Parts: sequence; C-alpha cells; structure tokens
Amino acid sequence: MSDPNPLTTGSKPDKARFVIALALAVLAAVIGWEAWRLAQIPSYSSVGPAAFPTLIAIGLGLLAIANAVEAMKGMDEERPRDEPKPIFWVLAGLVGQIVLLPFLGFSIATGWLFAATAKGFGRGPIWAHFLAGTAICFIIYLVFAKGLQLSLPAGPLERLI
Amino acid sequence: MTKMLRGAVVAAALASCIPFVSAHAEVTELKIMAPAAPGGGWDQTARSMQHVLQTDKLVSNVQVLNVPGAGGTIGLAQFVNASKADPHALIVGGYVMVGAIITNKSPVTLSQVTPIARLTGEFEAIAVPANSPLKSMADLVAALKADPAKVSWAGGSAGGTDHIAAGLILKAIGGDPKKLNYIAFSGGGESLASILGGKVTVGISSLSEFDAQAKAGKLRILGVSGAQRLPEAPDVPTFKESGVDVEIQNWRMVAAAPGITPEQKKELSGLVEKMAKSKAWTDMLKQKGWADTYLAGEAFDKQLAIDIANTTTVLKEIGLAQ
Amino acid sequence: MDTFAALSQGLMVALQPMNLVFAFFGVMLGTAVGVLPGIGPALTVALLLPITFKLDPAGSLIMFAGIYYGGMYGGSTASILLNTPGESSSIVTALEGNKMARAGRGGPALATAAIGSFVAGTIATVGLALIAPTIVDIAISFGPEDYFALMILAFTTVSAAFGSSVTRGLTSLFIGLSLGLVGIDLQSGQARISFGVPDLLDGVEVTTLAVALFAIGETLSVAAAGSRAEEVIEPVKGSVFMNKEDWKRSWWPWIRGTFLGFPIGAMPAGGAEIPTFLSYALEKRLCKKPDEFGNGAIEGVAGPEAANNAAAAGVLVPLLTLGLPTSATAAIMLAGFQQYGLNPGPLLFATNPDLVWGLIASLFIANIMLLILNLPLVGMWVRLLAIPRPWLYGGILVFATLGTLGANPSLVELGMLVIFGLLGYVLRRYDYPIAPVVVGLILGPLAEQQLRRALAISVGDPMVLFQTPIALTLYALAALALFGPLLFYLITGRKAPVGGDED
Repeated sequence: MSDPNPLTTGSKPDKARFVIALALAVLAAVIGWEAWRLAQIPSYSSVGPAAFPTLIAIGLGLLAIANAVEAMKGMDEERPRDEPKPIFWVLAGLVGQIVLLPFLGFSIATGWLFAATAKGFGRGPIWAHFLAGTAICFIIYLVFAKGLQLSLPAGPLERLI
Repeated sequence: MTKMLRGAVVAAALASCIPFVSAHAEVTELKIMAPAAPGGGWDQTARSMQHVLQTDKLVSNVQVLNVPGAGGTIGLAQFVNASKADPHALIVGGYVMVGAIITNKSPVTLSQVTPIARLTGEFEAIAVPANSPLKSMADLVAALKADPAKVSWAGGSAGGTDHIAAGLILKAIGGDPKKLNYIAFSGGGESLASILGGKVTVGISSLSEFDAQAKAGKLRILGVSGAQRLPEAPDVPTFKESGVDVEIQNWRMVAAAPGITPEQKKELSGLVEKMAKSKAWTDMLKQKGWADTYLAGEAFDKQLAIDIANTTTVLKEIGLAQ
Repeated sequence: MDTFAALSQGLMVALQPMNLVFAFFGVMLGTAVGVLPGIGPALTVALLLPITFKLDPAGSLIMFAGIYYGGMYGGSTASILLNTPGESSSIVTALEGNKMARAGRGGPALATAAIGSFVAGTIATVGLALIAPTIVDIAISFGPEDYFALMILAFTTVSAAFGSSVTRGLTSLFIGLSLGLVGIDLQSGQARISFGVPDLLDGVEVTTLAVALFAIGETLSVAAAGSRAEEVIEPVKGSVFMNKEDWKRSWWPWIRGTFLGFPIGAMPAGGAEIPTFLSYALEKRLCKKPDEFGNGAIEGVAGPEAANNAAAAGVLVPLLTLGLPTSATAAIMLAGFQQYGLNPGPLLFATNPDLVWGLIASLFIANIMLLILNLPLVGMWVRLLAIPRPWLYGGILVFATLGTLGANPSLVELGMLVIFGLLGYVLRRYDYPIAPVVVGLILGPLAEQQLRRALAISVGDPMVLFQTPIALTLYALAALALFGPLLFYLITGRKAPVGGDED
C-alpha cells in the first residue's frame, strides 16, 4: 500500500511494474480489438455492446501509461525475494486436481491437492497426506453428493458405494 | 499467462470429452441431465420427472445431473459427447435452447440428440400497467405502427423466448423487427418491477409471471400467445383473435442420447409416455402451473423442425444471428 | 394494531414445537452450506424443494427462512476465519474481518458479525412487518436511470475508500471491469471477450473470482514467503468476546448498515452487495481511526455485516408484497410458494395471512436461534486458526475447490480459479489492492446494463439520466463523496461525537 513518491527518484526503475504496464497495454489492445469487432455488428440501440469495452480499453491504455511512468520513478523499497518452490507445489496441487478429477473423481484428486499444498508449506511425507486427504474428501463427498444431491465428479472410489 | 489460458482451454476440451459419470448396464437406472443450475425451469422439469418416475415405480433409480451454462448449450455438448449410445441417459431441454444454439453458434445442435417428447409449455403474454393508455392489442398494434422505437418492451435476456415473441409480433404487423426496442432484464422480478413502475411501455413474459398482478388489478394483460384462450385467463384474447398472427410457446422437452437403437428409443418413448399420462405427473403440472403440451413421435419431430426454422429466421431479422 | 395482532398470530404458528424444529434444522443447514463458497441458500433450497414436497407449507417455508438467514451467517464466518467469502455479499466482510482474525481478534469479529446480523435482521424484519407496502412503492419508482446513479455513487465512494495509490486502485478496478465484460451481453445477446469458449459465455462468477483472489492468492503468497513468514497465528489475543471499546465502535455501524441495507435490498435491482460496499466506505469515512482500515477495523465488519443481513430481509419486501423475486434465493422461495399452490403477489397478505405472518415471525425466531447457537461457538470457531499452517491452507484450498465444483461441476471453472489465484498473488506481490477487482466485476455490468436500459427507453436521449429527483440526489451525494472530503469531514466532525457519546 505504499505510494511511490518523488523522494525515491534516484533508485532503479521498477522492472516488475513495467511488466504489469505491458500486460495492461496488451489487455487494452485485446479489449479494444473486441470493441472494434462488436462495433461492426449492426444493432438498433443507441448505446450498443461496443461502448463499454471501448471505454474500458481506453482506461486500461491510460493506466498502462500511468503504471509505466510510476515504474520509471523506481521502487520505494526493495521487495523481499519470493521462493519459487512452494509456489510450484501449490500450483502443482491445483493443476493436478484439474487433471485427475475426470479420471479419478473428487476424493483422490482433492486428496492430491491437500497433499501438494501441505508439501508446499513444508510438511511431508506427501503419501501420508495424500491418503489422509483422500479419506477426508471421501467423507465430504458422501455428505454432499448423497446428503444434498450435489453432482460432484465421481471416480473409481466414489463408484464403490 | 497465455500458457495458463491454453491449459484452461485444453482442460475444457478434456471436460467435454470425458464423462463425469460412467455408463450403467442396468435397465432400472436413468440419469437425467438438467443443462441448468438447480431451481430453474429445466431443473424443475428434470426433478419433477425424477419424482414421478420414482414414486410411480417406473424406474427405481433416477439421478439428476446439473450442468449449467450458456442457455443449456454447455450441458448439451457434454451430453452428446459423453452419453453416446447410452440408453439410460436423458436430457431436458426447451425452446430457449433452440435460440441459444443459434445465437451462441453452438457446435452441437439438437439434431445430434434423439428427441423423445415435448412435455410441457408456457404461453407468452403481453401486459401493461393498469393505468396505461393501451387498452387492447389493437392499441398496441397502432402504437407500434406509429413508431416501433417508442414502444419499449421489457422481457428476459436477448434472444430468449420473450425477445423472439416480440420480434414475431412486430414482424406480423408488417414492422421491421430490427427496430424493436427491446429492454432485456436478467430476472423476472426486475422486469416486472419496471412494468409495474411504468418505466417501459409493455412487458412480455410467460403468463404465470403476470397472473398474480393481473388478478390484483395492477396489470392488464393484452393478449396471450396460445392457439386458444388459456384456462388461467379465459377473458384474455389470443394474439390471433386480435389479428396478430403469432403463436408461440416456451416448451420443454426430453431427449435421449445420440446413436441409440430404434428399440431403445421405443422403450424410452414408452416410458416417458407412461410418465406423462400418469396422475402424479398431471398433478405436478397443475401445481406448477405448466400446461400439458405432450407431443411425441413424428409429430414432435416435425414441430421441432418448424420451430427451429422459424426461430432462425426471426433471430436473423432481429439481428441476433448472421 | 392489526399488524401486531397478525404478527402475534404468526408467532404462535412459528412457535409450534414442530415448526421450531424446522427452523432449527434450516438454520443449521443454512450455516453449513453458507460456509462453502459458491454454494449458497439459493442452491440449497433448490435442492431441498423436491424433498420438502411432502411437508406442510408453513413448516417448509419456515425451514427455508432459516436456511436463508443461516446461509448469510455462514458466509461471514468463512470470510472472517478463512478469507473465503461464502457469498458475494460477504466479500467486504473478509477485508477487515480476516485481518482481525489474523491479529488474534477473530472472536470479536465473529461476535460483531453475529450480533450485528441479529440487530440488523431484527430491525429489518420489523420494517418488513410494518412498512413493507410503503417501502415497496418507493422501490418500484426507481427506474434504470436512478439505478445508474446509484452505481455511480457506489463507484465513487468505494474507489475513494480502497487503497492509498490512485493508479494502483484504478488499475485493480479496471481489471475487474474488464472481467465484467466477459460473456453474453444481456441487451444485445452478443458474446464478448469469450474467444469461442462456451464456458465463458455466462461470464465470470463473482464468488469464483473472490475466492481465487482472496484465498488462493493469499495461499500462494504465504507459501512463497516460506521461512520469512514464520509468525504463528494466535487465535486469541485479549478477550475472545467483544470488549467495551468493541461494543462502542460497533453500535453505530450496525444501525447505519441496517438503514443502508434494508431499502437497497428492497429495490428490485438493488441487491445485497452494493449496501455492503457503501457501508464499508461510509464507516471508513466516519471512523475516528481510519488508519486501522486495512489492518482490521471492527467497524469494517460490523457495518457491512449489518447491511447484508438487512438487505436479505429487504429482498423479502417485494417478494411478499408484490410477488417479485429479486434475487436468486427469492426466486427459489417463490418456486417454494408455488409448490403449495400459493401465488405470492399483491394478494398474498390478504389470502394467506397466517402463512405470511408465520414466515415473518419465523424470521425473528431464526435470528434469535442463530445468535444463541453461534455466540457460544465463537470460541470454538476461532480455534480453527490454531491448525498448523500446512493443514490450514491445504484445508482452505480443498474448501475453495469444493464450493466451486458444487456450484458448477466444470473444469473450466476450476481453471479460472487457478488463473485468478495467480492474478491475486501477482497483485499482492506488487502492492495492488485486491478488493477493487471484485468491485469492478460486480458493479461494472450492473452500471452498463442500467445505463443502456435507460438510454434505450428514452430512445437515445441522454438527458433522461438527469431528470428524476432520485438520480439528481444520488449524483449530488457522489459529487460530495468525490470532491467534498473537506465538507464531509466537517459533517462527520459534528456527527462523530454523537456516535461516541452513545452507549
């Protein structure tokens, strides 16, 4: 929540915020292009589907510039380094869940998510967490799928019942 | 970020190819897909079927699966891909799906499933606030002929039954459907509020939405879209009686999986017919206020083809489809 | 006097032992599902409709009322403790509530939410019983141009309240607005920013975005901090319950939240989110310690919580007086009424008075029941935070994905959860505020639709936007919020001591 102030003009430009400014510019271009496409479609109403996208694209473009300008002024303080490994584990858990879900069902896929997240936070062994997580998720499945008739994805484990 | 996006797209492709529920081998089981979130019309139809099939012991185990999204086209795509030749799979759908397939340019269409029967329908009605200068359909027609842009219509989402019905009416009196001043609302309550508050000229929706207000004298119903007058509103003339040649119903149907054998289709049709003729089903319809518009076999196939053709034409004329 | 006779008659109905059991069951069930992000009261009631078919109308409607209020309550518990807003109307609660929980003040946060919900629910239910017909006339008179003005007011007050850097705040807001464009445009039926992916046609789900940004984004950034973030969450620092200062600081926000929530909730297009935004912004302005906002200010929990509960009662105003369902839950309740052959509408009060008053009375009962059940549990709930970090965050992710899957069993939805989680991480890492993204997603589409409706009805004449007294008043308030902070402080300077002297 720190405001970049002119006192720090001497420091190095903030690379990360340049990347963000670039990303905003790309987003502005995508939405602007979409607005142009929508404007080609004839519609009777005075304010059509293209008006808001146009405004938002312009706003994003201006914000890209503003972020770039602030990035030039540099950072006000050094950001602490983030560790990539735990992020990798948590993402592996989330993506793994998506991949496993259709084949192995809710309990096993979500058990994996639990184990990988715990691993990311430095708690192992992963297989023990996987087993415990799967067991707990199986109980959750029973409660929601049977008790409340929610349609959660079923796999080999869920089909046993 | 783009890699992530591509991942999501791949995941989407996976999701549509792989069934969440595997095929069953037993005859006593049936799974009905409601291609909508719990609570809506299709979901209620599916759950009513579940209720009747089970209480009348026609099928011992019926499951309802909700796959919401995009006017039912997401559920339809999943159904076509996942339930191929599965004689125990049914999907509920309806007129809204016909429009959604066209406007969303859905790659999967109703020609890829095996339609079994039309079950229920709701008729459209046009309502104005009690103090509106429009007293009859003739007044509305005159106003539309004077300047269609000055007549604002409140109804459901663009391209839905309400929008199509309004477009058909303007077309039927010789107007240009492109000039239709249609205001879409996302929920029945919001659109009804704008009609009661006199913010729009007329409202168009299924009759059941207006019924209670009309009985209380807050709204006046100008016309209904049935072939005959409706039992719920015997005093209200049909559009046709008022010289507007439009007849439309928001119907709901049930279809089976693609690629089932003629024998399997016959068996499912027999089952659905038994259900639709049962007392439990008629009671259910009465309680929900749905009209019994059961139609099966070739007659339904023919009607479906006509509906699809008409809808395509009118959506093009409104400018919603190319 | 008639009203009171009818209400006491209703209380007699609601207090029958069997109906109390229904209310209890509903409240428990509602709290349980309300905790899950994505699965709310609407879905629960929808799933229960076929099951309750055989019950008598009074009993099942009373149970639905319990689920409704219970769901609101469960949503805020999850927001405060786990940072996973269970309902879109409890997103604002997570902002200050979760900060309080992390600072060992989860107990007071839960307590002020519970008591605030009770106070707001009770006042709003009284309002429902006494002035529903008057309120509904005003609510109906709101046209699209007035709603548009209300959105402008919400935008200006809210953007003034979030974050200290204008560029960063606006960047977040515009990311949210961009996400709001995704899907089929309601007015024209055209698909926007959907790239031909059918799952995107219905747009971005608010709870999916909020859970991803708040819970998953935070999980990622805490994980990334690794050994740096060694601090252990202490579930309780100081008192488990509210101390004297907490009471003093909660009292006025409860009342103000109620008076924002009830009327806006009663408006057909008002909803429960906007009053929570407005309440948050208002409390930040009025707070004597504005620096505490963003670090766990109790006013930021008390006000919005009262506002969302009052709005929940407000939604019943058009439903019971006119038969207008203006929220997903109300639409399902309407289906519930119809299941018993009752047609809510202008005549319901006249044709089925015992049922209507029974329902209103059962709202009181549900409120009291929630308070009695939940206050003693506060101490137990906050212990959740004592769970070791790997398991706590593992559990939060299980929870977040379960809620998303339950609401929509689609892998694309889960994919969005991951992508928005990464977005949340990036925003956190580079000091961009999170809340404006969600605000943009909620308010953007509403503002666009109302503006276009207003202009379509007027056949393109922009002057329609400035013609009603309601709209002009709202614009004046917006201008005041934007350009008149000085003036505002003068007013608050006079008002604040009044709030302080009370109690």
